[in-house]
Order: sequence, then C-alpha cells, then structure tokens
Amino acid sequence: MSVTVEELGAELAEIGSRYPREISDLQTEQAIRAHKARYLGKKGPIAEVMRRLGQLPAADRPKLGVLANRAKDLIEAETDKALARLADRARAADLLRQLDVTLPGRPLPGGHLHILTQVRREIAAIFGELGFEVATGPQVETDWNNFEALAIPPDHPARDDSDTFYVEGNALLRTHTSPVQIRTMLRQKPPVKIIAPGVVYRRDDDATHSPMFMQVEGLCVDEGIRISDLKGTLLHFLKRFFGKRLGLRFRASYFPFVEPGVEVDMQCAFCTGGCRLCKRTGWIEIGGAGMVDPKVFENVGYDPEKVSGFAFGMGIERMTMLRHGVNDIKLYYEGDLRFLRQF
Amino acid sequence: MKIVWSWLRELVDIDEAPERVADRMTLAGFEVEGIDRLGDDIAGVVVAEVVSARPHPRADKLTLVTVDDGGARAEVVCGAPNVPPPGQRVLWARPGARLPGGREIGRREIHGVASPGMLCSEAELGIGPDADGIVVLAPGEGRVGEDAAEALGLRDVVLDVSVSANRGDGLGHLGIAREVGALYGRKVRLPDTSAPPGDADDDVASLASVVVDDPVACPRYTARGIVGLRIGPSPRWLRRRLEAVGVRPLSNVVDVTNYVMFELGQPLHAFDLDRVAEGRIVVRRARAGERLTTLDGQEREPIADDLLICDARGPVALAGVMGGLLSEVEAGTTRVLLEAAAFDPRMVRRTSRRLGLVSESSLRFERGVDEAGAVFASARAAKLMAELAGGRVLRGLVDVHPKPLRPTVIELRPKRVRDILGVPLETAAIVADLEVLGLGVDEAQDLLVVTCPTWRKDLEREIDLVEEVGRVHGYEAIPGTLPMTQAAPERGADELPEKVRDLCAAAGLGEAICYAFTSPARLAALRFPQGHVAARAIAVTNPMREDQAVMRTSLLANLLDALRHNLAHGETDVRLFEVGSVFLPSGRMLPDEPTFVAGVLCGERTGWLKPDGPIDFYDAKGVVERLFAGLGRDAEFVPARSEDGFLHPGLAAAVRVADVHLGVVGEVHPETRERLDIDRACFAFELNLSRLPAAEPPTFRAFGRFPAVLRDVSFFVDEATPASRVAEVVRADSPANLVRFRVLEDYREKGRVPPGKKGMLWSFTYQADDRTLTDEEVDAAHEALVAKLLAELRAERR
Repeated sequence: MSVTVEELGAELAEIGSRYPREISDLQTEQAIRAHKARYLGKKGPIAEVMRRLGQLPAADRPKLGVLANRAKDLIEAETDKALARLADRARAADLLRQLDVTLPGRPLPGGHLHILTQVRREIAAIFGELGFEVATGPQVETDWNNFEALAIPPDHPARDDSDTFYVEGNALLRTHTSPVQIRTMLRQKPPVKIIAPGVVYRRDDDATHSPMFMQVEGLCVDEGIRISDLKGTLLHFLKRFFGKRLGLRFRASYFPFVEPGVEVDMQCAFCTGGCRLCKRTGWIEIGGAGMVDPKVFENVGYDPEKVSGFAFGMGIERMTMLRHGVNDIKLYYEGDLRFLRQF
Repeated sequence: MKIVWSWLRELVDIDEAPERVADRMTLAGFEVEGIDRLGDDIAGVVVAEVVSARPHPRADKLTLVTVDDGGARAEVVCGAPNVPPPGQRVLWARPGARLPGGREIGRREIHGVASPGMLCSEAELGIGPDADGIVVLAPGEGRVGEDAAEALGLRDVVLDVSVSANRGDGLGHLGIAREVGALYGRKVRLPDTSAPPGDADDDVASLASVVVDDPVACPRYTARGIVGLRIGPSPRWLRRRLEAVGVRPLSNVVDVTNYVMFELGQPLHAFDLDRVAEGRIVVRRARAGERLTTLDGQEREPIADDLLICDARGPVALAGVMGGLLSEVEAGTTRVLLEAAAFDPRMVRRTSRRLGLVSESSLRFERGVDEAGAVFASARAAKLMAELAGGRVLRGLVDVHPKPLRPTVIELRPKRVRDILGVPLETAAIVADLEVLGLGVDEAQDLLVVTCPTWRKDLEREIDLVEEVGRVHGYEAIPGTLPMTQAAPERGADELPEKVRDLCAAAGLGEAICYAFTSPARLAALRFPQGHVAARAIAVTNPMREDQAVMRTSLLANLLDALRHNLAHGETDVRLFEVGSVFLPSGRMLPDEPTFVAGVLCGERTGWLKPDGPIDFYDAKGVVERLFAGLGRDAEFVPARSEDGFLHPGLAAAVRVADVHLGVVGEVHPETRERLDIDRACFAFELNLSRLPAAEPPTFRAFGRFPAVLRDVSFFVDEATPASRVAEVVRADSPANLVRFRVLEDYREKGRVPPGKKGMLWSFTYQADDRTLTDEEVDAAHEALVAKLLAELRAERR
C-alpha cells in the first residue's frame, strides 16, 4: 500500500479548511485551546497524516513536512483569530456593564485632626519659614519660671490664687508659655529664635474664657533686634495666615516682662466699615508683645547691653475663631463630634 | 476709670471730638473701652416759670400748676408736695417729651383734668434719688425756656478709660489731662486751691497732732482742719460728676473728698474732729485683739500687718482702705480733720486682698499715689469744703514727712532709643517727646539726663524712657522689618506626637483635646489598683469646679467622658483619640509629664451602605497595630488580665515594643462604663509614647527573587490556646525557608468544632534566597512543622 504526497497533502488541506469552521462554533477560550491541542496533539489529525510519512518515497517526504508545518501554522493562526474574536466579544459584552455611580463610595476610615492642631501646625510652619523653631516645656511650672524670672513681682494680681491655678507641692499650672522662653534662654546662648505653642491655664471660666486654652509665644533675641523687627515679623505672619496683606497697629500697654510693651491689633479682615468682630472699630486685638525687659535678660544671664529681643504672644483659639468663625471657646474642649468632624 | 469730658476740659484745652481723643489715648496706652453720652435720653423738657397754682377740684393731693416756658403757657397737674410759689422755676416735660428709660410723656387726663405733660422730679430725670418732690431750680440755674438737659449741665461725655497697673497717676482727671496734654502738646491747668481766708482761726496744730509710728508703711501723713461746716447736700453739678464717675453722693463734706480723689488721684479722708479722741492721730500697725467697724458696717479684725489710723482711744480707720464708723462725718458734724496721706502700695494691697475689701482709695494706694501731691489735694479739698459747706480752713498743716521724695533722675542714650525702636529719631525730637510729658531734660554730650516728675512712679530705668518716646512718637510711625537673626535650630521638635496624631486620624479616629484636669470621680472610675502610678493624681489647690480638682493621670478619664457626651447627643458611632500630657508625681517639685495617646471606639464598624457589624476588640487592636506599623515599630500584644482596672479582664491586651510595656488595649470594664454613665460596650487603648524606645532608622533588606510557595494547615485545638502560643511553637526552631506565616481563621461555632475546641487555619509561606524550592522539599518541611504543631499544641488535624 502506498500513498502519494498529493493524497496526503489533500488530507492536510482538508484539515486546514475544517479547523476554522469547527472552532468558530466554540464559545470559550478553554474549548478553543482544547480543540487546537487535539488537532496538534500526538493523536490529532495532523499526526495521523504524518504517521504515514514512511509510506512516501524518500524524495517526497520533505514536501509533506513542509505541508504539515503549513497546516500547523494555519491552525495556530486560526486559533489566535478565534481567541481574538472571543476576546472582542467578551470586551464588547463587558462594556455593556453599568453601575449606579451616584451611590456613595465604599468608605475608608475617616478620621480628622482637631482644628486647633491644624492651626497650631500652620502657625508653627509660618514662623518656621522665618527661622523660628518650635520649643516646648512642661505645663506644671515653678513660680520662678512662670513669674519671678519674667519680672512679675510677688504681689502682682496675676499671681493671686484667684487668677492662677496652683497644684500641690508649690507648683502652678503655667499661665502663659513664657516659661518656655526662660527655659530656652537658660539653656542656650543668643541668638534665640523660637516659638512656643502650648496649653496654658487661667482661672477664668465663662462664656468667653476657658480655664485651659492654647497660646503661641514667639521670642527673638540677638544683637540689634528692634521693635520694627517685631512689627515686620507679625505683619508677615498675618499675611500668610489670613491670606491677604493686613495692617497692624501697636497700642502702648503694660506687661511686666516687656518694655516697651504693646497690644497688637490687626486690621479687621472681615469688613470694611465695621462689624461685630471688630466692634465697629476696624481693628481686632490679637495679642500682646514688646521688647524683652532688661530684667528678664538679667534673670537668665544675658547681657541687656549686648542683646535685645522681642517677644509676642497670641491665643490660638482666637486666631481660629477669627479665621474659621468658631464663636464659642468651650467647643474646642468638649470633644463633641458635631464640632470636631467639621474640620 | 471714668473720665468726664467737661471735667477734663477744665484741666486741659482740647479742641478735638471725644472720639478722636479716645483713639489717640487708646494707642498711647490708655485704652478707652467705651464712650457714654449723658443727657441724650432727655428731650422736650424745658425750664418753665411757675405762674400760679390752685388745688385740683377732685383730688386733695394734686395741684394744678400754671407754668410758662416763655413761649407757651399751660396748666399742668402735679402730685408733688413742694410746688414752689410763683416766680420760681421748675422743669416741665411737655407733651411729646422723652425721659430716661424711654418714657414718653403725653397729654393725660388725671381725675377729670387734662394735663399737658408733667413737672419732673429728680428721679424721673434720672439725676437724683428724690421721687417725691419736683425739681426746683436754684437761682442762677437755667433760663426760662432753656432745654433742661442743657440748663442742668446734663449733657456730657464719659470716657471709660482702662488704666494699666503701672500707671496709678492715671486714676484721676488730672493724670489723664496730663496724658492728653502730652499727646496734643498742651499744658494742663491746675484746679483752684485758693481758700477763702479763715477769720484768724486757730492753727490746726493746736487742735490736732499726728504721730507716724511706721514711716515705711506711711511715708507721708498730712492733716488739715476745717471748722464751722454745715453738712448738707452737695450742689447738683458736683453730685452729677460723682454719679458720672460711679460714686453715690452723700453729703457736701464727704462728696468733696471723693471729688478731689477723682480729680487729682489722691484719696482723702475726713474725720469728724470732735470724734477723734484728743484730736490725736497715731499711724501704727494693728495690735492683737483690736477691732474696727468700717464705714460699710462690717466689724474687722486687723492683723499685725495692717496699718491703722488711731486716735487716743484706738483704731479709727484702716489706713488707705476705709474709714471707721466711729469718726464718720455725720449730719451734725461741724469740724473735720482732713487726711491726705501716702501709704505703702504693697501693704494696702495685702490688707485689701485679705479682707476682700476693695475701695476707690485702696485701688489708688495699691498702684502708688504721688506723695508730693498730698498737700495740693488737701488744699483743693479744703477750698471746696469752705465754698460748699461754709467752712473755715484753719491755718497751717500738720505734715509728717520724714523723708521727702526725690525725683528720679535717669540717664538716657539717644542711640539706645533709636536702637530699640528701629527709627532714626533726632535727639531733639527725643527731647521734645520727653518734655511734653512733663519730664525735665538736660543734654550732656551724647547723654540726656532726665528728671521724672514724682507722679510718674513707673519711670525707673532707661528702657522706661525709651517706651515713653515710643508712645508719644507713636508706634504707627515705626516700619516693619524682619530680624536678620540666623539661629541654627538647637534641637528639633519632638515629631512623635505629631506623627501619632496623623496616624490615628488616618486610622479613622477624630482628634479631641480635653482639659488636662479632671474630677477625682472620673479617675476613680478607671479603677487603677492602689500603687499603680496612675492611681495617685496631683491635686489642684484652688480648682473652680470639681472636674478641675486633679491633674489627669490618664487621658481616658476625660476622653471617655467625651464619648459619653457624644452618645448623650445621639451619636451612635464614636471614634475619638487624644494625644497629650498626663501628670504623674515624680518625687521632685515638678511632676513627670509623659505624652500619652489614647483612643475610644464605640458603635458600628463603617461598612458600605450599611454598617459592617458592631465594633469589637479587634477594631481597637487594629488601630494600635496600624499606629505601630506607621511608626515602623513591631508591637507585641499579650493577654493583660487585671493589668489595669479599666479594661475587661478577658478582653485586654498589654502592648509592648522592644520588651517595653507601653500600655493596653481592650474592652472598657463594665463597672468603669457604669460609673461614667456609658450605657453600651466600648473599647479603648492608652499608650505611653514617652516610653517608646528609640529606634534606628530602618535598613533595607533584600527581598527574595525566587518564587514563594504557600501551604496551609487546619486543625482543632483547645479553645484556650491563644494564637500567640501557636506562633511561639512555629518560631521555636522554625523551618529554614519559612519566611512568613499568619492565622487565617479562628472559628468556634458549635457543630463545626468538637466541644471545648476551636478550629484554626494557618498559612505558611516558604521561600529561599538562592533557588526555586521544589514541591518535595516544601512538603517535607511543612509536614514536619505540622507534626510539631499538632504534637505540642495537642491539636488534631482537620
């Protein structure tokens, strides 16, 4: 029994024409690949043809090899085409999917920072740009650090136990963050350029006062520091914090630890002709400031003939109130989520 | 300090409107906190002459008074008993008039007679207490037809001036006049002190003597005598001024002492000379057991620190604070001894504080009264008493003043002024600024020698003068510059608390900031066992409220209260944290103030469209794990039965990093919840951040490049075996290529597990650094591990 290369070639051609028809009916990638594997496998139709290779004259055998390879290539190509068609259909079907995109998203844990933390950080960052570093100190303080070193005399009303909280063991709850100035100057030589944010305590508890509140103080000590430097520093701060250039005025005032001492008013950022916030004056008080009193320098071992410095202090709640409209100081400390989650 | 505009203008010429002056005073350090216009609340009341009067036909007590205001004539019904005879002048509120309190006057019928308006009493005009009689004007007071507010000098302006603690000289009209004068370059006019000459009366020294025992507490004591006085009411202008500054008029003599105090700032006291035993004044410290009834009727028991004014018998006044009842000026008084003295501010302050007795006098002495001005004030008061109470001023003055005050002299370097203010002021301008304040200036080379007036006790040092120049020059004129200082940071800020805040917020918690003091009850509710560091809280000596009584030793005391607050307001899902200091006794003067972080969780886990089930222990633990993952630290959790009292003993874990105990996480103990009024399960953690051991920055570890192989094992094990025990067995002698393992399931449902057992599914990852592991070697290693687990845990493979 013998066959010719033509006969076998025709069989391969028939396989090649049958294959595309068969796989065009198949609906899954798995079925297509299985079908291809059967065609190309050891028991597949091509292998079946090739098994009869030995029956060909030796000279025709390479020809059949060429034909068989062509058939295999065709099967590969048709398979790819079928898979691509399948993928196209699947893509088209997938693109018909729809969701109600107006439903809420899957919530991630949603926490928030306290508005005073946010404002405190922002204040620190603004002064940080000017080279002020953040300094901190304890809240329970000695009389010396809180009063004596700041030239507040022993009979000053601020020291009364009607104004200042005292704790057992002759210590007190700091009434300002100025003790941090003292601690810093005792620790390091000039120049000093710090801000000291933190909570402070005063015996005031009414609609506009909280017995604990947050303050930020600044201190800059070096040779040749002038009150104009204080003004420029605060002007820069106001511009950055309120986002616009605001005027500032100094009113002469008295604090034992600064001389000259001033109260600082900023131009009202919220009105042009007078509003409730500025009490129709066009000016809003933001804090106290001045040039560090020589007595304070002597108390920390600085030479007031060599260095001068300015200091300022302002309430963080007040700055927050001015920018964010929080009108009740108690809200900051109640932990009420209706307040906290707004920021 | 209330400043009456008309009074101020007697002392200094001012052309500007009160509002403008107030603005300049405010900038110069005398803040005007309010401006009150007097007399604006009265309108349509005129001075009218009584023409005739006849009884009301139907009411006994009423009179029909015909008045004439120069333009109109009308018959007015009047109920007052003191209708004056024709020719006298009264105040007629015509129909349409407005009285204080917004009262409108119309045409009214009274017992059948129509009354066009009314005749006014002092009370109705708000100018005095008398509500029974109508006002009858004194001769020379007002013209017929004149507006009543003008005629009585009711129109005035009152400035409410805040005087800072160092400026006692501002507590009188004269001091404010000097300040305003300086701002406008005007000199003040001193008030008149020229008393009418006494008729060759006695010298005061023959009637009174003064001994000062303690010249430190009383550096000056002057006494003057005024006799032949007739006590009576003060004239209306004086009463109005006293009322405008907030003092109730009493009688001419007492009113004068107050008037001069508000005018000059010098407190004065008038003793009834006939009630000063032997006319002898002794100024001395109090002795044990002495008593004194002060003018307010209170019996006082002075202590040795208090200074007394005594007569030959005993105490007659608390020096500088308040006079005594015994020697009070009364209706029958005819002779007074007028005290004008100076007392030590600290002594007055202590006495006033201790007795809780604050007077206009003590307020002034506390801030320092110019002792050099005492004689002038005494003369001014004597003149007014002579004028208004018909007295005669005795010759002479007793003046005990052992060490007359020398004016302070300060050397000022003009360069210093320029250096501090940052303004290139000419020396001449500096001199001008100082002189306008009444300071004497001598120029010597590069130095100004400045002599300060005795009333400016606040001027002691060069820097004080720099401030004066700044004030007068005006801070508006100072430019804004930036300091040239370049200070390299000494040490960076502690970033850990800030990082923890960010991580807690990222983990879904809202930041709260609570008070650092709390109530003992809230701390007790946390059930810290005795001896626990948090069980002993530092007490606040003078709290205002119970919840300020102690410093917190745990953030949870107030944070759990914030949770309660939120639940009470209808919140159901509450997740809060706080980072802050707690206060622990240290044995030293100041306590330790470590920084803690605490969190509370309550309610439902957030899910999509609906909650994802109730929050439980693992949510709280998850937050803590996330926190330490964010910090790049490995935290270890171990059962913390009865570690701290505020957690449920079975649902509490201690948290450790590098073997250091940092705190706990767990379900809040039901008793703690009950004591804090929290009605549902909640979870909490608290960690001491200050104890977190320092760590090196993380170093990179090469990761495996060859494929990892996963193997599971599922087994039943005794219910009480913790996951950490399984991990411990795995870690002890773990297979060479085991790189990770974790628990995937822990299930205990009845029917799925044998009694007393639980099912667990663990997953193990095998990977080698140098090659792809074969199935066979992984299987061998895994099976060996499983066998070890089953044996050591006495578990049974599922």
